[in-house]
Formats: sequence, C-alpha cells, structure tokens
Amino acid sequence: MEPTEHRSAVGQLADDLRWLEDHCRRQPELSAHAGTLRLASALTRNVIGPFLEGQPARPLHIAVVGGAGAGKSTVVNFLSGTVVAEANPQAGYTRHPTAFLPTGPAFQWPTYIGFMGSLNRLSGEKPANADEDVYQVKRIPVSKSGDADPLSDFVIWDCPDMTTWASLVYVNRLLEVAALADVIVYVASDERYNDEVPTQFLHMLVKAGKAVVVVLTKVREPDAAALTDHFKREILGRLPKLPDGTTPAVPVIAFPQMPQSERTDPSGAGAKHRVLLLNQILMAVDSDASMRIRTVSNAAKFLSTAGAGLLDVARKDLAEFDAWKSAVVSGKAEFEERYRNEFLSGEQFHRFDRYRDQLMDLLELPGAGRMLGGFIWLLRSPYRWTRDYVAGLIVRPDVFNLSEQTVLTASLTGWLDKLQAEALRRSSTHAVWKQIAIRFDTELGPQARERFNQELRNFEMKETDELEQAGKKLVEGLEGRPALLYSLRSGKLIVDLVAVGSVVALTWPPGWYLLLIPVLVSATHQATELAVRAVAEGARARVRHQRETLVSGVLTTPLSTWLAEWPATGGSSIEKLQQVLHRVPETIRQMEQRVKAKAAELVPVKPPTPSVLPLPPGVLTEAPKDSTTP
Amino acid sequence: MSEAATVAEPQPLLRTLAPLLRGLERQVRTWLDTRRRFPLTMLQRAELEGLADDLRRQGDALDVEKPLLTIMLMGGTGVGKSSLLNALSGAPIAQAAFTRPTTRDPVVYFHNSVRSDRLDPALRLCRLAQHDRAGLEQKIIVDTPDLDSNDLANREKLKALLPIADIVLYVGSQEKYHDKLGWDLFKEQRQRRAFAFVLNKWDRCVTGESGLRPDEDLLKDLKDEGFANPLLFRTTAQLWIDSAAKSGTWPPPTPPDLPEGEQFTLLRNWLELGLTRLEIEAVKARGVGQLLSSVSRVVDGLRPPDLTAESEKVKDAWKQTLAAEADVQGEVLVGTLEPYQTEVEHHFSVEDQQRYRGLMAAYLRFSTRMRYSKSGLRDRIPFAGRILPGAKVETPVEWNLGEFVQECARSAGERVLDQRTTALVNRLLVEGDQRGFPLALLNDPTSAVGRMDWRDRVTRAVIDSLAEVEREATNPTGWRRVLRGTLTTMANTLPELALIVTAGTLLFNFIVHQITPGMFEMSLIALIPLVVIIAVHLLILMLLPIRWQAIRERFRTKLATRMTEELERAYLKVPVDIAAALREERKQVDVLIAETKVVSDFLAERQQAAQVTELYGA
Repeated sequence: MEPTEHRSAVGQLADDLRWLEDHCRRQPELSAHAGTLRLASALTRNVIGPFLEGQPARPLHIAVVGGAGAGKSTVVNFLSGTVVAEANPQAGYTRHPTAFLPTGPAFQWPTYIGFMGSLNRLSGEKPANADEDVYQVKRIPVSKSGDADPLSDFVIWDCPDMTTWASLVYVNRLLEVAALADVIVYVASDERYNDEVPTQFLHMLVKAGKAVVVVLTKVREPDAAALTDHFKREILGRLPKLPDGTTPAVPVIAFPQMPQSERTDPSGAGAKHRVLLLNQILMAVDSDASMRIRTVSNAAKFLSTAGAGLLDVARKDLAEFDAWKSAVVSGKAEFEERYRNEFLSGEQFHRFDRYRDQLMDLLELPGAGRMLGGFIWLLRSPYRWTRDYVAGLIVRPDVFNLSEQTVLTASLTGWLDKLQAEALRRSSTHAVWKQIAIRFDTELGPQARERFNQELRNFEMKETDELEQAGKKLVEGLEGRPALLYSLRSGKLIVDLVAVGSVVALTWPPGWYLLLIPVLVSATHQATELAVRAVAEGARARVRHQRETLVSGVLTTPLSTWLAEWPATGGSSIEKLQQVLHRVPETIRQMEQRVKAKAAELVPVKPPTPSVLPLPPGVLTEAPKDSTTP
Repeated sequence: MSEAATVAEPQPLLRTLAPLLRGLERQVRTWLDTRRRFPLTMLQRAELEGLADDLRRQGDALDVEKPLLTIMLMGGTGVGKSSLLNALSGAPIAQAAFTRPTTRDPVVYFHNSVRSDRLDPALRLCRLAQHDRAGLEQKIIVDTPDLDSNDLANREKLKALLPIADIVLYVGSQEKYHDKLGWDLFKEQRQRRAFAFVLNKWDRCVTGESGLRPDEDLLKDLKDEGFANPLLFRTTAQLWIDSAAKSGTWPPPTPPDLPEGEQFTLLRNWLELGLTRLEIEAVKARGVGQLLSSVSRVVDGLRPPDLTAESEKVKDAWKQTLAAEADVQGEVLVGTLEPYQTEVEHHFSVEDQQRYRGLMAAYLRFSTRMRYSKSGLRDRIPFAGRILPGAKVETPVEWNLGEFVQECARSAGERVLDQRTTALVNRLLVEGDQRGFPLALLNDPTSAVGRMDWRDRVTRAVIDSLAEVEREATNPTGWRRVLRGTLTTMANTLPELALIVTAGTLLFNFIVHQITPGMFEMSLIALIPLVVIIAVHLLILMLLPIRWQAIRERFRTKLATRMTEELERAYLKVPVDIAAALREERKQVDVLIAETKVVSDFLAERQQAAQVTELYGA
C-alpha cells in the first residue's frame, strides 16, 4: 500500500465527515448528529491515519473527561502522581486540552498531518483557561521519591468540560482528544453522575469502543457503596453495546471529598486513592501494541456503524430532492399532454396530401396505356364533377389550430412556471427548495430556455425529415416493388376493361344501357381512391404517433433529465452531499479492511504481554476489581 | 414606608388590574381564534397562547385579598434545592438523598392559612406541605425537579411549573452554577420573572485554591447578562439541616463549622422579612408589567406587512398577462367555430333578412336557401358527420345557439383551455412573487380562482359576444345605419315600384297607343323587377357584406375583450383583497397593542417604588 494513497484517503474521509458535520450544524433538526460526525472525523485523523502510517504505538493516551467542576484536574494530578494540573474551584476553568508527558525516556510526538485537526500545539505555556483552538504539551516533573512512573507509557490529557454554557465553543477540542485517547477516565461527581449531557458523551465514547474507567468523585464515605451501585445500575446499565456487540465492562472507583492535604499530594497522602485508579487503568491495558490495535479497530468499526447512520443525516435533503425530481417529471407529462391536445390532435399534416396524390398517380398506366387511361378519365368526368360538388358540401373546414411553435413555447413556460411556483411554495420548508427558488430567475429559468431552444432546432429538423421520409416511404414502398405495382395497375385496368366489356356484351346491341359504362368505371375508381386514402390515413396516424415519440425523445426527456439533476449541480450542497454519501461508505469500508490487514501484520510480531507493569509492592493485592473505596 | 400606605394603596391597584388582565386575555384569545390571511407559525401561536394563559393566571392570582408570592427553586440535580427547602423549613419535608435525581415530584411549601384550593391548579397536584410561620404567610415556596438529569420527564415538570413563579431562586453549586441547561432556561425566563441567586454548597467553593471564586465568576456572568447588582446568597444548606436535626429547636443555632462568607441567615431573613407586603405587591406588579411588555412585543412581531404598493404592482403585471391570455383564449374559441362558418354565415343572413319585405324578402329567402343549401344538406346526408374529419360536433338541425356554443366551449376546454388555466395560475403566482408579494398568501386564493367554473364562464362569454356581434350587425350605428336604412328602403320599394312602372307602362301603351304587348314585353313585367332586385341585392352584398372573415374578426375582438374582463374580474381582486385584508389585520394588531398599552400605562402610573430592582436585570 502506498503511503500517499491511504494518506489522501484518510484526509478525504476526514474532510467529508467535517463537511457533513457543518451541513448538520446548518440544519437545526440535525445538529444532534454533529457531535458524532466530529468524533468520527477526529477518529479518522488522530487514530486511524497515524496507525496506517505506521507510527509507533507508544505512547498511549489517557483522556480525563467529565462535567464542569467534577474534578478532572484533580484526577489528572492523581494519574501523574504530582500536582501538574491547575485544580480550580471555578467550574469550566479549563478551556483547552493539555497533555502531560511521563517522566520516562522521551518518545516521538505524533507527526501525522491533520493530527488533532484544527488544534495547534502551543509552543509556549499558557494558563489552562486560554480559550483558543490549541493544545499544550507539558512534562511531568520527576517525582521526588524517585519511584518509576507506573504510567510511563501514557500521555495524560486534561480536558475541558462539556456542560457549561461556554462549552459550545470548546467542546470540539474535547472531542479531538477523546477521539485520540486509548483509555478514557470519565470523572463524575456525586452531583453530576446522572446528568444528561455527560452521560450522552459517555455513551458516544463507549460506542467508539474506548476503554473507559469511571471515577466517582466527592462521594461521602458512608454512601460510597450504595452510590457506586446506583451508578452501575442507572448509568452503566443503560450503556450502548460495543462495536463488536458485547456489553462494555466499565470499572468504577469512588473518590471521597478529600481534604486539601490529600488532594495536593497524590503520591503521598492521597496514594491509597491513586493506587486504585492506576490499577484499574493498568488492568484495562495489556500491551502498547495490542491496546493501540484495539483502539484503532474499534475506531474503524465505529466508523462503519456510523457510516450506516450517515444516510440519516442526508435523508431529508434527499427526500426533498426526490420531490423536486417528481415535480419535474409531472411537469414533463403535462408538457407532453399539452402538445398532444393543443397541437397534435388538430394537426392535419396537409403536406401529406401530396404523397397521397402521388400514390394515386402511380396507379395510372404508363406509356401507351396512358391513352386508354385518358379515355377512361373522360368517361369518368360526370362522376368527378358530382363528387367534387358533394365533397364541397359536406367537408367542413378544419378547426383552427395554434401553431406548433406557440404551443411548444407556451407549454415550456407552463412547465417552468409550475416548477418555480412549487419551489416558491416550498421554499420555507427546506433549504433545497429555497436554493432552487433563489436561483430560478437568474440561473435555472434562462438556462432551461436556452437548452430548450437548442433542442427545438434539432427537433424541427428531425420532424421535417420524419414527415418527408414517411411520405416518401409510402410512395417508394410501391415504386420499389414493381411486381406489386404492375399487378395493381393491370388489376385496375382489367377490372375496368372487364366492366366495359361485360356491359357491351351483356347489353348488345348498344343502346341506352351503354351509359352504365361510365357508372361502372367511376365505381371502380372510387373504390381505388378509398383504398389509397385508407393507406395514406394509416401512414398519417403513424406520423402523428411518431411525432409524439419524437417530442418526448428529443425535447422533453433531455430537458427533464437536466432539470431533475439541476439542484445537484454547480457546487450546490446537494451535489456535495451526493458525492460524500457515495464516497464515505466506500472509503470507510476500505479503511476498515486496511486497518484489519495492518493489525494482522502487527499482532504476530509482538504477542500480548502480561498486563502487569512494575508497581509499588502490595498495590495489586490491595485493590479488588471494580472496587469502591476500602 | 408607613403601614397605612402599604395596606391602603397597592391593594386596589392589583385588584383593579385583575379584570383588565382577563379582558386582555379574552381579546388575545379572540384575536387568536379569528380566521386570518396572514398565517401564524406554530411557534408564534404557542407563544401567544402561553402568554394568554399567563394573563389569565395573573388575573386570577391578583383577584384576592392578599396576593400570594410564588418563589420557585430552579437548578440542576444535586445542587441542593431540596436541602435548601428543608433548611428553610427546619424539617425534612422534601426528600434529599445522594441518589440523582432525587426530587421527582415538586413540593409546595405554604402557610396553613392559605386554603389549598387557592393555589394555582398546577400546584395543587404537587406534594403539599403546610406550615404556620407568620413571616412566610403570603409566600409559597416550591421545590422543583431538576433540569439536567437523564430523567427528561423531570425537566418537563419544571417547565410546566415555571410560568407560575413570581420569583425564581436560581440555585447553583460549585459545579453547576453556569451549566448550559440551567443558564439557557434562565436566559429564556429572565424577561418574564424576578430572579434571585443562591450558590449552595458554599463549603466546596472556598477550598483555598487559587483562581476566580465561583461566586465572583457567577457575578461576572450575571453582570454580562444585565444583572449589575443581583441578590446572591452563598449557602451551605446541609450544615443548617444537621444543626436543626441535632438541636431540635427553631430557629436552629448557627452551625459551628460554617465556612467563611456563608449567608443562609441572610436568605432566610430576606424571604421572611425582606419580602414585605409592599415588595410582594411590587414584584407582582412588575411581573404583570413584564408580561404586558412580552404580549405587546410578541403581538407586534405578528403584525402583517403592508402590501398595498405590492398589490398595485402585481395588479399591473397581471393585467398584461391576463390580456395576453384572453387573446389566445379568444383565438382558440373562435378557432373551434371555424368548421361551422357556413352555419354562422347562414344564421346571420337569415337574421339580416328579417327587415326586408315583399318581393325582395321572397327573393332573398329563395336565394339564401340555395346558397346555404350545404349547411342543411350536411345534416341530411347520413353518417357524413362521422366519416369526415373536422365534424366532431354534431350540427343541430334547428339552429340552437346556446347548445351549439356550449359544445364548442366544451371541446375547446378539453383540448386547450383547462390546461391553460392551470398554467395561468402558476404564471400569475410566479409574477406575484417577482413583484415582492409573498407567495404563501397568494397561493390558495389564486388556485381557488383557477378552479372556478371556467367552462360555464367561457360559454357565456361566447354566447354573449356572438349575440353582440349579431346585434351590431343587425343594428349598425353611424353611417352604416344610414346606408342600411337607405338600402332597406330601396330594397323594400324599388322592386314593387319597378313592377308597377313596367306594368303601368305596358297598360298605358295598350290603352293609349293600342299596342298589344308581345311575349317579350309581357316577360318584362317579371324581368325588370328581377333585374332591379338583383341589382339592389348586389349593392347590399357589396356595401354591407355578411362574410365569415368579417364576422370572425369582430367576434374574436369581442371575445378577447370579454374574456379579458372575465379574467380580470376574477383574478385582479385576489391581490387587492389580500392587501385589504392585511391592512385590516394590521389594524387589529394595532388595536391589541393599544389595549395592552392602556393596561400597562395604568400599571405604570400607579406602580409603587420598592426595593425590587435588583431582582430584574437590565
């Protein structure tokens, strides 16, 4: 796998997720999804990206999160063994994350592009309440006792809260670190532990597959056991399932409201509490590599489940887009119906009469036969006069028909007006319609008309062609088959001659009965004419039908396709949404496979080591699993 | 502050206010219930209905001898609302425990002189706890469920109770004093009620660590919100509960380990002594004032726009569109008559002949029958109507104008007009929007016009125009009238004259000159009048022709004018009506605002000065 390839895939995915997040923030009813999307993009950038890049598993990250004033900074101090974080009675004091590096040998700080997203690393030092998109890195001072740091593989993150009114601004900084972390220490005070906002945050992190250790703080000693129980039942009992489908095992420990002496001396006076906490963390972690692999694969699984939920974000937009499409299609049907009713039903295609006459001419005898034909024509003169007179009496003039151009233009205007009115009607219900309504007069309308005019020229050329061809086919169909032509001609002649002959023969000697000859000859001619007319009318009906297909094929279908897709063009949000929806699930799937492959590569190289790291003697035995304060 | 002034003055004020508020509530409700062109959104309607409820509630609450002040504790779970109430009452009346959320049912703490049916209906359903402390006689303290726990039902209960509160006691703790959920609710309610603040668990705030103390932080936040000098009490309720439990006396002795700056006693004193009758009246009056200003603010936001100018613009634009449409419709309708031009000509000729008498009339009857024999013949040939193209409409044997035209209008409607009407409505809507007229207002009435009985209207228009053309043709005006009169007179006299003259001449010659007329001379008696008749007829045909082309043109113009009138009458009144309705609705809104102003002026005039300003932000 080329490094640039997955780098760009990771970057693309993170960008897409960020775009979706912004999209959600713009729509009030979707804003609940924004947090999940931010977490997803942060997981991509901070966890999956560096892992695929081959960055070392060390250091692991512990993020200390919780509501304002719950005692996060105090817990950070207990993790690091000395007072490093500013614990402060002001709730919501910490405004940006701070990383505390262990005292052990230095390790490489992740250098991956896009790591921590929009947060910059502060070069100097600032107080924790600096409200900027930054993070700081500090080093834990070497402890006076000289003991080895049990968390020498871990970076400890002190995070801002998510409950105060100011947290809207900085909750993204918190998400960035939470995504990065391998272990989450969730701090909840006796006051906070059943609060809605932190609990939802906890749910999200569990869904992302993070290992979580809960610290209940400020617990009154007599209540500790009952409170822990209550917490396990009320909060942990309702946790969502892990990405792999199992119920998460979350250890809970309780910290009492400590006197200042214990609070400020975590490795001395407060050691009994600290040991409990460290123990739970070390138990959750077996080795660097396997922990990191667990974090990464859970992140990938979270992405693929979140990927399924992404459609939810887009559903409303796409439903509105579909409504637009169906409006376009029904407009198309109306257009075609108007063309059919207003123009086609009254159109007689008078140019077609010429071909009918040609067809009639073809049936006349050529060459010497013309003399005979002329003679019979003379015989038919009285009939012809009568016929023309009668026809003049009974044939009415045609209904006045609007010209094709008029009908087409009016129908197009009707179509566009219908769409515009619809867009205006719905513009207050959804942004998609609003966009269309705003851009209708300046962009959509003129563009549609221009397109239509181009297609109209094409259509006019084709319709003339088609009419000519249908007519010619009628004539040539007969001309091209001489056998049929001659048999028809001679058939007609024979019938004429037989009629004349039989009258003469039957009524011999010639008398008044000879007048029957013109009558019979006229009758045969009338029959021929009716037959030819029937053929021509059939062809005319076909032309009418073809014209309908032509309008649909050349004019309306291309225009309706263009109109239907229009909202998704020109860099609109629907276009981007479609792209993103198309791209994200695919990228996530690839990402998950790559993570699997890479994890499979790594695991055999470094089998999981036993979980115990050097600890002060007696610590492990002192702390039973999931214990409360002794 | 003399005792007499506090008792005598405010009492009538609040009691007079009660009927005024109820009257205002009725007006608001009536206004809400009237049908209007300018639509209210669900949110606006809900907001105004909430305000109307508040008006009624305030009216009811004020209509008593001694108004009750409702003080409501509001805060996150675990900040100690229930503990605070227990500490204030000196007994465990509200359940307080470490499990969160603790309070699920609100507790109402009130004096036993207050009958429970005087409480607001929403409070009667809560847990009631009565006391006999004189200092709290006119006050009801309500402990509410939390606003931030996982139990969302609690939040709903709190929100349902909040409108009853006169004073909200915003309770915060070191952790939660500016949590988003509580702060948002405070910001939402602060324009409507008085606020005082409690920072409970004060012992956790003074830890000796450096940095901004929570109370200072909270004061800073409040200052940004416009509370320059808020009432803030720093308390540790638990210590007072413990102390009361230990001593068993009331009031409990001050706990020994009270942290520095603890102000529970201040809070208790404020509630018992600081909120005197005067203050209660003032808080009530202020609450009403704020309610009234909310009403007028909300109602003002609902004032519909003035669309008079826009409606004129739309009208002008529509006129052009409708004229163009009427033109096309006229063209199409006349087009449907095209196959029957012979019949129309025939009809006109017959009508025209009514005025001729004698020989001329006989001649014309004969010649017309010959000339238009086709139109009769066509009906006599069986099946001709079905075989031949363009003969969709059966021609009636007897000329029946109404039926005939109805058929034409029907076929024109089916083919063209119905679809054009739908398209026309859309066109008009788009044009209206382009002229700045909100489409939401225009949509329904315009579509309704589009769904009117246009076929009937078209039929009537065709009949009327045809009749008019006919009337014009038979009763011309101006020089045509003179010409026609002359021609008629000539036609009615000349043939008879010629006959008499010819016969007379022959008779005269026979009698005087003894010339016996031959065959030729005798035939002249018939021939000369005939020649005269033909000459006059030709003259008539030349000078006053009845030809389809001429009729058609006149008919088309008439029809177009008539259709323009019809369309304009139906459509043009839509924007004008809407604009007029909106003007009327604006007036209603203004009336409502004026009514509100009357009440609030009444209040402002009589409002008493009292020490309550710090309960309200700027």
